[in-house]
Amino acid sequence: MPALWLWQHGPVTWPHVLVMILGAIVTLAVTLGVVTYTIYAERKVIGWMQGRIGPNRVGPFGLLQSFADIFKLLIKEDIVPEKADRSLFLLAPIIAFVPSFMTLAVIPFTMRHIFTADFGVGLLYYLALSAITIHGVMLGGWASNNKYALIGGMRSAAQMLSYEVPLGMSLVGVALMSGSLNLNHIVLAQSRTVWYVVPQIVGFCVFLVAATAELNRTPFDLPEAESELVAGYHVEYTGFRFAFFMLTEYVYVFAMGCLAATLFLGGWSGPFLPGWLWFAIKVFAFIFFQFWLRATMPRIRVDQLMSFSWKVLLPIAMLNLVGTAIVTTLW
Amino acid sequence: MLGFLKGLSVTMGQLPKKKVTLQYPEVMPELPDRFRGVHRFIPDLCIVCNQCARICPTDCITLSGTRDENRKMHIDTFDINFEICILCDLCVEVCPTDAILMSDTFELAVESRDHLKLDMQWLTESEEEYEEKYPDRVPSLDAVLGEDGAEVTE
Amino acid sequence: MALIPNGTDREPMRSEKGSAAAQNSAPAAQGHAPMPYGGPAVDDIRMEEMLLNVGPQHPSTHGVLRLLVRARGETIVEADPVIGYLHRGTEKLAENLQYTQIIPYTDRLDYLASMINNYALCHTVETAIDLEVPERAEHLRVLVMEMQRIASHLLFIGAYLLDLGAMSPFLYAFQERERIVQLFNRICGARLTYNYMRIGGVKYDAPEGWLDDVRDFVPWMKGKLEMYDRLITGNEIFLNRVRGIGVFDTKTALAYGISGVNLRSTGMRWDLRRNRPYSIYDRFEFDIPVGQHGDCFDRYYLHLLEMEQSLRIIEQVLAQMPDGPVLGKVPKIIRVPAGEYYCGVEGARGELGFYIVADGKDKPYRLKIRKPSFVNLQLLPELLRGQSLSNLIAILGAVDIVLGEVDA
Repeated sequence: MPALWLWQHGPVTWPHVLVMILGAIVTLAVTLGVVTYTIYAERKVIGWMQGRIGPNRVGPFGLLQSFADIFKLLIKEDIVPEKADRSLFLLAPIIAFVPSFMTLAVIPFTMRHIFTADFGVGLLYYLALSAITIHGVMLGGWASNNKYALIGGMRSAAQMLSYEVPLGMSLVGVALMSGSLNLNHIVLAQSRTVWYVVPQIVGFCVFLVAATAELNRTPFDLPEAESELVAGYHVEYTGFRFAFFMLTEYVYVFAMGCLAATLFLGGWSGPFLPGWLWFAIKVFAFIFFQFWLRATMPRIRVDQLMSFSWKVLLPIAMLNLVGTAIVTTLW
Repeated sequence: MLGFLKGLSVTMGQLPKKKVTLQYPEVMPELPDRFRGVHRFIPDLCIVCNQCARICPTDCITLSGTRDENRKMHIDTFDINFEICILCDLCVEVCPTDAILMSDTFELAVESRDHLKLDMQWLTESEEEYEEKYPDRVPSLDAVLGEDGAEVTE
Repeated sequence: MALIPNGTDREPMRSEKGSAAAQNSAPAAQGHAPMPYGGPAVDDIRMEEMLLNVGPQHPSTHGVLRLLVRARGETIVEADPVIGYLHRGTEKLAENLQYTQIIPYTDRLDYLASMINNYALCHTVETAIDLEVPERAEHLRVLVMEMQRIASHLLFIGAYLLDLGAMSPFLYAFQERERIVQLFNRICGARLTYNYMRIGGVKYDAPEGWLDDVRDFVPWMKGKLEMYDRLITGNEIFLNRVRGIGVFDTKTALAYGISGVNLRSTGMRWDLRRNRPYSIYDRFEFDIPVGQHGDCFDRYYLHLLEMEQSLRIIEQVLAQMPDGPVLGKVPKIIRVPAGEYYCGVEGARGELGFYIVADGKDKPYRLKIRKPSFVNLQLLPELLRGQSLSNLIAILGAVDIVLGEVDA
């Protein structure tokens, strides 16, 4: 490992800055590639589950389908509704997207942080940044000046805020067990003992549900409930701005998969295979689970969604937290 | 919680199953011989009895014919306005000589409305196409003519 | 219910700039003086009703239904269905058509149950002119009608689950329906607008091997129904969304003239196949499943149970299928003697009736169609009052309307 990549452990020099920028670019490229093929895989897998064959026209096996879609969105006309709040309307997709990408900065893809940061409070950083996206979504819904978008935006804000709490609570159990908020330390702690999915199974279940809700995916896809709200908060968005919202969504799917793999499934640790491959497998397992849910579940109702978060999920997460605290203290 | 898992098992069970998608433009659907597509028309058989035009619920058929020296009617023009045809098959049903029939052409998209005014030439070509495609479904023209010719002269 | 054209200016799609709700729905705006201490009290928050225009281009209004919804937050104050976007004037057109010529038009009423529409018209005319229909024709008719009922109910389940956000049942339902449609395609040459029945019989006899294929279809379909049961009925999210939603009782249902599954879900055992037997339904054994609560779940589950009963009827028809002609002795031109005739049959959505006023000619003087979807839709505003917006779709979907029939 050249010393250049280990910029985190020395004073900052100009080459280090260059490497940092390079790391960000590489991560962005990887993320975009992952997102592109997540969308492709989603369409394929859900298609297979429904007796269809999924995209198969663009490129061999339809592998270039997502690129074609992105290209189509890029060349589409960028429409800003006349009565929309123009500046907010233009700003909202950016507010939504930027944090989604920034959360990836702390993910330990391999044993050593190569392109990403070894950050002391990585877990907190992730939660803090992912909360910002809510603003983008809500602003997008409000600025569109469309009733469907407004309802979608409001639902989104309410939903993401309520599920942020149990999500955070379920992660605290992991932090307690490992004694660190540094994601890489958590993985190291797991590779020494056991994957936290075993002792923290309750926490993991809460995390799965809350994560699905955070991602606005079926069965919690109310903000963009197609059959009710047409397309929810991004109903007025077209072209590239719409692409940004979609990108945000799928980057978060990836990021949440990374978080699940890191916190509960032992991250990059695993026998035989190289670390990055283990990591990829675990992330894909999480993503596949999301596809599977989407192919099966109807949509939960908005009032049930809220009461489920506050009355069921949060108490369970709290109990789990208390239990974990007691056990770790005594042990 | 159990119902949840049952549903998940159903969708997973579908994953490896054979897919039902028909890759349409490359693979054409198999259509039964009763299929009601665009009409086809055999002018030699037509006796200009006007029954098809009268039964048509949307009045989309117009035809005209003349009497030849043997006092037999011959069809001159036969037009179907496909903008309003509802492919109900009633004209085929009433035709005493089976001069008007249904083909299996179901692709009716055109770029101009004018193309939907189908004339006798178009319909005859449709018949030729159909005969070429399903030689086994079409009785040979001579046999039909012989039989019906006898009938008509009676 | 309002018919379309009036008031295009009543319902702006977008609200005025910067404010959440439209100005035109001002009546509910209340006092909004700023409070001296910090934020305003709850009573003084400015609240406006929102006028939400659901449809006609909304993904879940099953075609071109438009609902004019006045909502307070996400709670519906009033929902007004606006219909007529698919109006083709079938009843008026029929006045200028011979009875045989009307049959293809009935295909296009409830396009998910064309066979039953065909039958309802033919049955009415046959009753009017006292025409005897050959045995085999009646058997074939019942066979295709029950298959059609299955196809229609399948589509209901698929579309309903799609409304509720589950995508797969919709595609599964289409796979099953495809098999029925293929069978229909073989027997009558069309996949949607069958035009299969004639006054006095049916158009074609079953082609070779067709009855055997139907015989194979029955057990296969039974397996599929089980799959739907496993996939949907137990799902907790689904149950929570449909249980106790859109409840009405038998009295209300009768007052509004509701029929079909919607009526049976309230617990009333009313099925014209049993209560006013027509065709040869009195020869078959089948149950009439009824619900208890009259909620959306009952309506969903009854569709599933009715498919089972339809399969039972199909089995019995196949076992009894006689030989013989499929078209009776029909006069060349059918003239209905002057008088008024009405026959109702149990359509896929309720009582489908044709009311003919004849003046002895070969065309009806007046044809009135009792369209079950249209009648069932009347209850919708009642059901939606006070519900939340997400229940709107659940309730609308369960009423099971087909816009081709509502607008006719």
